[in-house]
Amino acid sequence: MLSQTLHTRRLIRRLGSLTVLALFVASCATAEVPTIEGVAADIYPGTCAEVGDRELTVYSGRTENLIEPVLDAFACETGIEVAVRFADSTDLALLLAEEGDSTPADVYLSSSPGPVGFLEARNLLGEIDESALELVAAENRSASGSWVGFSGRKRVAVYNIDAIAEADLPTSVFDLTNETWRGRVALPATNGSFLDWFTVFRDQFGTDVATQWLNDMVANDAKYYPNNRSIVEAAGRGEIDIGLVNHYYNYQEAEAIGDDHRALNHDLGDDDIGSLLIITAATITSASENTGEANELVEYLLSEPVQRYLTDETLEYPLAAGVAPADPLPPLTALEIGSVDFDALGGGFEETTEIVDASGIANQ
Amino acid sequence: MTLTRPPWALRIVGIAIAILFAFPGVYLVFRNFSSGAEPLELLTSSRTLEPLWRTIKLAVLVSLSAAVLGVALAWLTVRTNLIGRRFWRVLAPVPLVFPTFIGAAAFIRTLNPGGLAAGLLDQLGVGGFELRGLFGAWLVLTLFTYPYVFLPVAARLQRLPGSLEDSARVLGDSASQAFRRIVFPQIRGALGAGTLLVFLYTISDFGAVQLMRYDTLTRAIETNYLARPAIAFALSLILLVLAIVVVGGERSLSRGSDSLEQTRSSKPIVHALGRWQLPSLAFVVFAAVMSVGAPMVAIVDWASAGLLRTRNGGRRLTIDSEKVVEAARNTLESSALAAVVAVLAVLPIAFLVGRYRDRVGGASHAVIIATFALPGILIALALRFWTLRSGFAADFLSDSKALLIFAYVVRFGSLAMGITLVAVQTVPRRFHDAASTLGAGRVRRLFTIDAPMMAPGLMAAVGLVLLSTMKELPISLIIAPLGYPTLTTRIFGSFEDAFVAEAGIMAVVLVAMSAVLSWFLVLRRA
Repeated sequence: MLSQTLHTRRLIRRLGSLTVLALFVASCATAEVPTIEGVAADIYPGTCAEVGDRELTVYSGRTENLIEPVLDAFACETGIEVAVRFADSTDLALLLAEEGDSTPADVYLSSSPGPVGFLEARNLLGEIDESALELVAAENRSASGSWVGFSGRKRVAVYNIDAIAEADLPTSVFDLTNETWRGRVALPATNGSFLDWFTVFRDQFGTDVATQWLNDMVANDAKYYPNNRSIVEAAGRGEIDIGLVNHYYNYQEAEAIGDDHRALNHDLGDDDIGSLLIITAATITSASENTGEANELVEYLLSEPVQRYLTDETLEYPLAAGVAPADPLPPLTALEIGSVDFDALGGGFEETTEIVDASGIANQ
Repeated sequence: MTLTRPPWALRIVGIAIAILFAFPGVYLVFRNFSSGAEPLELLTSSRTLEPLWRTIKLAVLVSLSAAVLGVALAWLTVRTNLIGRRFWRVLAPVPLVFPTFIGAAAFIRTLNPGGLAAGLLDQLGVGGFELRGLFGAWLVLTLFTYPYVFLPVAARLQRLPGSLEDSARVLGDSASQAFRRIVFPQIRGALGAGTLLVFLYTISDFGAVQLMRYDTLTRAIETNYLARPAIAFALSLILLVLAIVVVGGERSLSRGSDSLEQTRSSKPIVHALGRWQLPSLAFVVFAAVMSVGAPMVAIVDWASAGLLRTRNGGRRLTIDSEKVVEAARNTLESSALAAVVAVLAVLPIAFLVGRYRDRVGGASHAVIIATFALPGILIALALRFWTLRSGFAADFLSDSKALLIFAYVVRFGSLAMGITLVAVQTVPRRFHDAASTLGAGRVRRLFTIDAPMMAPGLMAAVGLVLLSTMKELPISLIIAPLGYPTLTTRIFGSFEDAFVAEAGIMAVVLVAMSAVLSWFLVLRRA
């Protein structure tokens, strides 16, 4: 019995020490620093305002690497306490739908318009103040005031520079159904930004044309990838020759990997649907009780320092405050902005998913 | 001894725990009604049946290979004189900690055409293959899930008396005959429980199958949440029913193996590998290189490129050491608490099933295990749904760590369930009979007989839940209190937007932490 009692003691001690360890690390809270540093200080270099009793809760579908400095600068400059949940845009939209009126969230930031349409269809979005809406061009905000674009990502073709000579690059997504491109093109067919793009494609050319294009791509042995990043990475290694993605992943990947990354962005024709600008959107929830602070944040996102940060640091397209796109970005052309009714996206989303599912692309 | 009726308090506790674990399942059924889903109708469509068939095919293949790999590694590192066996025993559970979305991407980065090891593979004459489809998903999931088998089987082997095996050998059995006739029947329960987890994990996995571009049911679920919720809910319900069927099947198969024999002071025998030493070592090294080495090559490459970049004045990293420490601390705290609570939560049910063969216990057991097949995001949404409808508890629980721990326990209690049950079954009844004859009460017996004999199994259960929780993503994102980042949530955020340097650095921290914890739990026991 003696050795068994020892065993028991040891087991209890082991579990006990694990718990104590957990509780200990839990208790070591870090002290608040009254000034901000690093990237956030680039956005707001001044001294912080006194923290009052104003607070704001943000659900951000934009990654914390990009948005945390912005929120830090906002909190410092205004004295508003900001609590934030970072997650996938889709998952957050589902959470907001589940929470309904009880949601703690005041502001929801989405990396693409689809989830915004989903929330709008369920009447979960409140109205943004006119003063904030006016900061962007009419085509980059909702007519009903439920959302406003705060940065843009352009659709481009990313290609492997060893596999395709510059002269041979396509000038339209419609070229890619030709025999030349058999088995060489990657599509992120189930990714949010692709689905949004395809919905606009349907809106502009009619559902028949868009569906035909997708089916032709499948017949042309286009390859399915789950998201933009995996296509950019595969193009950098030469696993695929070319793929339709958002512009800014390639800059990030090249920055991270260096010269081993053998891929570049290619702008499809200026008036080609393959050059569409997809906006990232800010919204205020209908349940928000802090609409004043929420509007302040939305205006802050559209202010000059933040717009400059978004294009300089993350190489996105700025949409407000007269900020010009950062250096490596090709300028936007006329068709890219405007003429697209993003409000139609929410409703068109369901049919788009149906078409993409039916095409069989996901099993390519 | 005839079976006694379980104490009524134990039964009530068991039922209460089962009800808590049933939250996600009940939520799913409710949502099927509220969204007008028609799961039966979907079952007649080829667009459901084909992914479903692919899901089952993949899960069967992964289960078989993970079972073989897990048992081989467990036997070699526990029962033989394999060189460095203690080291390999610590390393073997580590693949559990790779989140599949970054683990699978790391495999691709290392092994696929143009990848980091492509030149080496070409020289070896095995280059040019592309990890994708059924093969890619099978390989990656086998390498990530074999610890579900390894940990319980290794724990069981450690408590297995060598005497029977010795006798068999003396009486003329070959080593393989002795394994088949003596060892295998003894590990069958642990093996069955572990393999079941592999199967259920595989049907619920999304990260690996989507990167390997193998179109399973989870992909269809994932893409339909926003656009066609009714279809997503219906497909999830099909997944849950499949899980229940498989759990039931495993239960009826393993029923015969309940009577486990065990003597008290059990020194496991150690086989001399002899001329099999080198081939065995080569096998273990190969398994380690594939399951830990290959993904680590890419992860370390990402991390070091990022660190070099800052030193050379390139773009700044978006994380600093303070953020990494904060995330590591949260990860450790939440996963350690979840692991301990999960094992405590499944213990009453393990006693009900293992000691009393109680019907209520059997049903609770099935509920807990089958829940493992539900995608994490559904568990997260389900718990949000229930807390919002629970009156005063909503204020108390929402945005609290308690809710996060609870969600983890519901997600991973299944991992602890199987091993804990096997641990309970390994305690011979006659010990209890003897002890109670000598006047030892129930509580005293629990601490002097049950706990010491069950210790290896319970520690393995803690380890399984701990390492799995450390990499959990959807619940950590959706249920964690606001401003409570964990390593996985940070890795996810960084990786999705191609901040691969930041993701790499934090993944290295995650793997290092898991190795230390694995050492703490697996090795320091002896």
